[in-house]
Amino acid sequence: MNTIDSKQFRVLAIAPVTRGFGFAVLEGQDTLVNWGVKVVSGKGNKNAKLLPKVEELIAHYQPDVLVMEDASAKGSLRRSRIQRLVPQIIKVAKASKANVKLFSREQVMKLLVPDGQGTKHDLAEIVAGEFPEQLGSKLPPKRTAAMRENYQMGIFDAVGLVMVVRLKQAMLYLPSTNPPATSSIFQ
Amino acid sequence: MSSPQLSNYLVSNRKRLALSQKEVAFLLGNKGGAKVSRYERFDREPSLETALALEVIFQRSPSELFSGLYQKVEQEVIERAKTLASRTGQGNPKRQIFTNIANRSLN
Repeated sequence: MNTIDSKQFRVLAIAPVTRGFGFAVLEGQDTLVNWGVKVVSGKGNKNAKLLPKVEELIAHYQPDVLVMEDASAKGSLRRSRIQRLVPQIIKVAKASKANVKLFSREQVMKLLVPDGQGTKHDLAEIVAGEFPEQLGSKLPPKRTAAMRENYQMGIFDAVGLVMVVRLKQAMLYLPSTNPPATSSIFQ
Repeated sequence: MSSPQLSNYLVSNRKRLALSQKEVAFLLGNKGGAKVSRYERFDREPSLETALALEVIFQRSPSELFSGLYQKVEQEVIERAKTLASRTGQGNPKRQIFTNIANRSLN
């Protein structure tokens, strides 16, 4: 008997990085539909080159929600280029009738990392633990001060954001106001 | 708030196994990854032989791999079954068969 649901709640996360952006598409409770990094190269306006790639993803996946990090949140260390890019992406998403959710880095860490404190790598480890089959092999080694950030970290940032949306949704249906353990929500 | 299923889920299955488009193309007996790319972008639908080969590669049934397409086809068949059921006389045993097909979406 066919048990395929006819409709699914779909979330697209965009996580801008230096060379482009990481993205992740989550469908339903735990189906990671696509994930990766889109990069741009060459001189010129990087944001202008990135926007068509975002548009392409939105058109292809028609997400119910587009989620990004709030680059203008207090304490955000995002560069001005990315701070300019976020509103441009919001405009594109709204034109496609997708709801937009922004979460500060602090909110993401609070919801996904025990004690709400940790490094980007700690978050990536948690994300890889939730999707070991898909992301386990992509987890970069912990970087030292002399190393550049691995460009694939954008994937983990993006998947972390979709996990936050799912967690927030799950919390709506829980009687407790305390955030539940991440693993229990996604199992 | 929800969206219709995607036409196919080839990308997620390919990436789950960490395969490249070129590798999947080779397994399908194609020269390059262009066809696989078109399948993944929903620009092209594969032949039955290719769909079965994809089942072998990903260990997922075609109705799972192409769930959006499956739903579209299922809905069309249900509509036709309703038409045939309405055209078939009450005493005809085939009417029950058409009705069962038409009620399939309720199962």
